[in-house]
Amino acid sequence: MAVMLRSVMPRCLLMISLACCWLGSCQKETQVERANREGILLVGNSAEPKALDHQLVTGVVESKIITSLFEGLVAADSAQDDATPPGAAISWEHNDAMTEWIFHLQPEGKWSDGAPVTAQDFVFAYNRLLHPDFAGPYAEMLYFLENAEAFNKGKIADFSQVGVKAVDDFTLQLKLREPVPYLPSLTRHYTWFPVPRHVVLQYGKMTDRFTKWSVLPNLVGNGPFKLIKWRFHDFIEVQRNHNYWNSSKVALNGIRFYPIENPYTETRAFLSGQLHTTYQLPSDLIRTMKKNEPDLLRQEPYVGTTFIRINTTRPALSDPRVRQALSLTLDRDQICEHIMEGFFPAHSLTPKMGSYQPEPKLAFDPEKARALLAEAGFSNGQGFPVFSMLIARPSARASAEAIQAMWNKHLNIRVNLQNMDWGSYVSAQQSLNFDMASAGWIGDYLDPTTFLNMWTKGNGNNNTGWSDPQYEKLLRDAAMKSDPAERFALFREAEATLMDAQPILPISYQCRNYLLRPEVKGWHPLLLDNHPWEAIRLEP
Amino acid sequence: MEKSSSLWKDAGHRLSRNHAAMVSVVALFLIIAACIILPAIPEFIQDPDLQNLPNKNIAPSAGHWFGTDHLGRDILSRVLSGGRISIAVGLITTLVSVSIGVCWGALSGYAGGKTDAFMMRVVDVLYALPFLIVVILLGKTLEPLTAQLTKLAVAWFSPPGSASAAINKTTAWVEPITTLVPLFIAIGALSWLTVSRIVRAQVQSVAKQEFVEAARSLGLGHFRILFRHILPNTLGPIIVYTTLTIPGVMLLEATLSFLGLGVKPPYSSWGILIDEGANRMLSNPWLLFFPTLFFATTLFALNFLGDGLRDALDPKSAKD
Repeated sequence: MAVMLRSVMPRCLLMISLACCWLGSCQKETQVERANREGILLVGNSAEPKALDHQLVTGVVESKIITSLFEGLVAADSAQDDATPPGAAISWEHNDAMTEWIFHLQPEGKWSDGAPVTAQDFVFAYNRLLHPDFAGPYAEMLYFLENAEAFNKGKIADFSQVGVKAVDDFTLQLKLREPVPYLPSLTRHYTWFPVPRHVVLQYGKMTDRFTKWSVLPNLVGNGPFKLIKWRFHDFIEVQRNHNYWNSSKVALNGIRFYPIENPYTETRAFLSGQLHTTYQLPSDLIRTMKKNEPDLLRQEPYVGTTFIRINTTRPALSDPRVRQALSLTLDRDQICEHIMEGFFPAHSLTPKMGSYQPEPKLAFDPEKARALLAEAGFSNGQGFPVFSMLIARPSARASAEAIQAMWNKHLNIRVNLQNMDWGSYVSAQQSLNFDMASAGWIGDYLDPTTFLNMWTKGNGNNNTGWSDPQYEKLLRDAAMKSDPAERFALFREAEATLMDAQPILPISYQCRNYLLRPEVKGWHPLLLDNHPWEAIRLEP
Repeated sequence: MEKSSSLWKDAGHRLSRNHAAMVSVVALFLIIAACIILPAIPEFIQDPDLQNLPNKNIAPSAGHWFGTDHLGRDILSRVLSGGRISIAVGLITTLVSVSIGVCWGALSGYAGGKTDAFMMRVVDVLYALPFLIVVILLGKTLEPLTAQLTKLAVAWFSPPGSASAAINKTTAWVEPITTLVPLFIAIGALSWLTVSRIVRAQVQSVAKQEFVEAARSLGLGHFRILFRHILPNTLGPIIVYTTLTIPGVMLLEATLSFLGLGVKPPYSSWGILIDEGANRMLSNPWLLFFPTLFFATTLFALNFLGDGLRDALDPKSAKD
């Protein structure tokens, strides 16, 4: 014993002294204090982006970085969701039917390498995203343009028939297939952003995917910041872009985005002074934070829904009765009360948005669920295949485990849970190589179409294998209506169809829970959570 | 005349006088017994996967000695049933790795010459592979095995025709083990390298001794000489190494489960419980404390026992 203690003691002492040194060093300057001095914002960003070519991504994670590097025709306002300050375009006008729009670009607008941003760059960008060879995963966002869908699906080969035209270098004309009163806010989404034609063509053909143009040191943008460092799974750093037209208004010298996937780790990093803001606060820490750090906690409304995406091409899951049974045994009230604290039980897919409110279709009824499952041929869960459910974030594990237990208890079926990193998780769904996935959707603009348009045939974000001509007809009819009441009535009908078929099982309406340091100014609650980086200041 | 006593008797005597090792043996026995016996008594321990959401995050109390987690599951039952998996992983994987390592090292050391050189270069190559990455890749490749294996095992323990409740019950304890089989194979197949080196060196030194010459001159076969006469003389280091491998493998399982590659929810192992506890240590510290207590105690005990065995089995240490 004595011998052993002697050999253990020096090691213990060494560990203790090391720990003391480490604690001592924390007394000095935290990473945040240093960043405050240097004018750099440290942002928790949840995951490594799939790419920084904004025509190849669909996620919120990428959106945060891309909005610092690029700017659309219309900029975002730091305090109001519906304000439309000028961006790459200085002004715009439209015809009375709202189907023809003219955007006048900033004459001073420059790419970060000094080349002018021209209307041709926008035409080139839309041509690239819509081109069938390019297979842009989010091309549907441009279907508002006349003939864009036909061109994207290869029905017409001539891009000049699509409703976008460069009248001259600084005038862009857009012709839409339907009246879109919310077009300015739509153009704030990254699918409507321009790409630097001269740089893209330097590193490949227009339709080449994942070329070198969008990596360091080649990436050129027209946003308030430019990319200077990309350390894989460490951080991405952007620096103020002096060629930005509104550069004098930019207060930050730079932003660093940290891809910390575990929200608990992220929260600890924040509390130890390594981040200015976190991507997400795990719901079981909300109560603790409210008590200990009420000034740092932010709880804001958010246009988002969490749901389970189902691959309807799998046997058993292709039967709508099975999907309804799965949905009817989700006790959404329990989940929101105990696991996703602060979220609200979903009654349908689209959260309340302005005057649009969908028909409440979702309920908890295990009796009916068992009957439906028996009708589908799986009485008491006998013979039901074992499916696996993908999870991309540790924060989703608790609710997934609760759902696993609910299905087991009420339907006597078993589901495995499978962790995946963000990139594989997205790819698995896009290639329909999954059974179920715990997923979510955040609105891109404030209109129900941002939630409803994606469940159409061939849409890059559908990923369920489900489609219904009747549903698509209702959406098309709604698009042609200019009276909001009529339009919303058709949307309600379409959404009810979707909720009867249930290729997705909505769980909850999200809210934004995160931590923000008090020295970050110009950061206001926004429904879409698109904080314009150029308006943010650090005032320690 | 001094009464003769065997190496083993001496070693046992020396070990019994090493208090740390003896305390470790008792602690290990208690933990293993608790993990194996208690979860089988439903009156004492509730179902570790039973969720009771309104009962979530209860601090340790009379109803739940170790408290409950964020889904209202009893931590005591989860620690004990998780311990079953962690201990099973430790024992099975160590068995796989030590068996491979002993055979490989013994053959290599006994054969000598070109065979020896070749076999040791194979070990060198395997040493050069990044361990964790290969384990992960191998585990992933072997994953399709698990479904098949689960089906077989369930059919073995509750033959077709059994009541569905019985099948469910069997699945509940068979599945967490079968899902780990790829991991057993992957870890076992790569962690035998050090054992093989140790055994080879031992065999080489023992093979030169006179009693081996004697056995050879009696005309015994190589196989008999190697496994009957040489190997028993190298058992000391092998046993020591084994007790030190078990905690290493349990740590590796914890690492892999921490990365989401080990045991799948809702089943748990100590590694998973510690991962979940570490995430929530700000709000519910007991979620981290109890699994860590069990895990750390087991690791310490195995280490002390290994140290004690090393000292006890050293033939050069003085007789007393």
